[in-house]
Amino acid sequence: MQRTIPVWVLKLVVGAAVCAGGKSASAADEYAYDLVHSSVSFKARHLDISWIHGRFNEVDGKFSLDRVNPSKSTFELTIKADSVDTANKARDEHLRQPDYFDTKQFPTIEFKSTSTKAIEGGYEVTGDFTMHGTTRKITFVLKGGKELEFKGTKRVGFSTELSLKRSDFGFDKNAIGLIGDEALIFIDCEGVRK
Amino acid sequence: MPEPSLYLQAMGAAAIVSALCVLVLAGVRRPASAARLNSACVLGLGLGLAAGYHALTWRWAWPPVHGLDRFLTIVIPAVLGIELIAGFQCVPRWVAWCLRMGLAVTTPRILLQGSVYLSGPGSDWTLWQTGAGLAVCGALLAGLWGLLGRLFERSPGVSIPLALCLTTQCAGLTVMMAGYIKGGAAAFPLAAALLATALGARLAAPRSGVPVILGIGVVGLFGLLFIGRFFGRLPTDSALAMLIAPLLCWATEAPLLRHRKPWFVGSLRLALVAIPLVVVLAVAKRNFDRDMAPLLGKDLAPTSHFQSRHRTELAMVPCPSADGHSPQLPCTRAQHTRNTSFRARPAYTARGGIVGRSDSESE
Repeated sequence: MQRTIPVWVLKLVVGAAVCAGGKSASAADEYAYDLVHSSVSFKARHLDISWIHGRFNEVDGKFSLDRVNPSKSTFELTIKADSVDTANKARDEHLRQPDYFDTKQFPTIEFKSTSTKAIEGGYEVTGDFTMHGTTRKITFVLKGGKELEFKGTKRVGFSTELSLKRSDFGFDKNAIGLIGDEALIFIDCEGVRK
Repeated sequence: MPEPSLYLQAMGAAAIVSALCVLVLAGVRRPASAARLNSACVLGLGLGLAAGYHALTWRWAWPPVHGLDRFLTIVIPAVLGIELIAGFQCVPRWVAWCLRMGLAVTTPRILLQGSVYLSGPGSDWTLWQTGAGLAVCGALLAGLWGLLGRLFERSPGVSIPLALCLTTQCAGLTVMMAGYIKGGAAAFPLAAALLATALGARLAAPRSGVPVILGIGVVGLFGLLFIGRFFGRLPTDSALAMLIAPLLCWATEAPLLRHRKPWFVGSLRLALVAIPLVVVLAVAKRNFDRDMAPLLGKDLAPTSHFQSRHRTELAMVPCPSADGHSPQLPCTRAQHTRNTSFRARPAYTARGGIVGRSDSESE
């Protein structure tokens, strides 16, 4: 009896200390990607005279925001390539084929930040962007970061625009004809605090 | 975008290099021994394919990341290697066939490596489905290779390689029409190299069959259809029909046909193989016109019930004669528009706009 009480008391004390310490050591807030209030869309040139618009319907992600030390903030996004939607079923099927996204071989498009820098009005984020089996480092400006509490849940919003060349990501150059090489991607996301 | 002139160049390069290789290496000292002819054909096919794909300006990364890359950089060289070994007199037949069957069983697994069918807990297939799928596909390739190999031993000649060329070419067109342009284009240098090698071998040694031509033909056909089916949108029934079409060559082994003249047997084999291919191509063309052609800027399919209904109405209208009196047989949309341009009835253009308004409306 004399031996058991100090052990569990010790465990309790150590556990409480670890929890308290963990909480105080990290000022980062974890957010989950809110699919309902977010979108990942794109547009690409058609015949170099007009634009085709599309979006990805299935996206997942998470990000942590450290207001005290912004360089510790991280952003991750996973897009299901199969969910491409350009409002034309035949074109969507074509885009899923190996000449374009090759969704059976490369089911996801992913971004994972490697460094974050606070700038006026948002963050400058650098990270690894993986599409079509090719990973490249990209940097973009993430505007926003305004936090709001809505019905007891903290929410934060960001938006960004970036330009990518399909040829940089291993897309077949012969398939770059009618649809231009460059694609503009628009990400508007809202995060819900976990 | 499909580039027919580039495909023709690639086919020409593959055919010329393959034929020259075979004729130079096997035709120097006639008659060529079976081993030398086989080695010449292996080299001819390898160099011909390299020339053909180089003409298509294809580049591959190592390790290969796509199904098509794995097919061209692992499976095809493996077939060439196995057939090179099998061609030596000292290698027993059972060893050669064990190597071939081993490759047949592993080819589907190689082609699906890293895809959604195999990788991880989020894969499209369960473990059981994966095992069954790979086993069935491996068995299909092994069965096709074994049956055509047996037929090739019974009656060597150019008809079986020609049937495989024909089927490979049709498979390429079908895969392309299903929307996988690069996958379909891979068939053209393959078919050209096969044809040139088969004809070159025929000229160098008229009476002997070369197993490597059969091996590359069978595995090449299987690989294209497999990639088209699992990575593209090639329907399963079309893929199966094309895969087993070359087996129709066996029909000429019937007692009534077997002892006919070689040219008759060969022609009959090609005709029989062509029948399912024509049907598959017709279906693929119909699906292409319905699904893919609008994406390439050709005649747009009706996008709404409204347009669809009016198009149907228009198609049912008998064509008036040029003088505007007696009705004639149904006519094309262009004829109808021309002959009824004075009327107020709208005609729909290929892009869904309205033309053919009456003069009074224009005013």
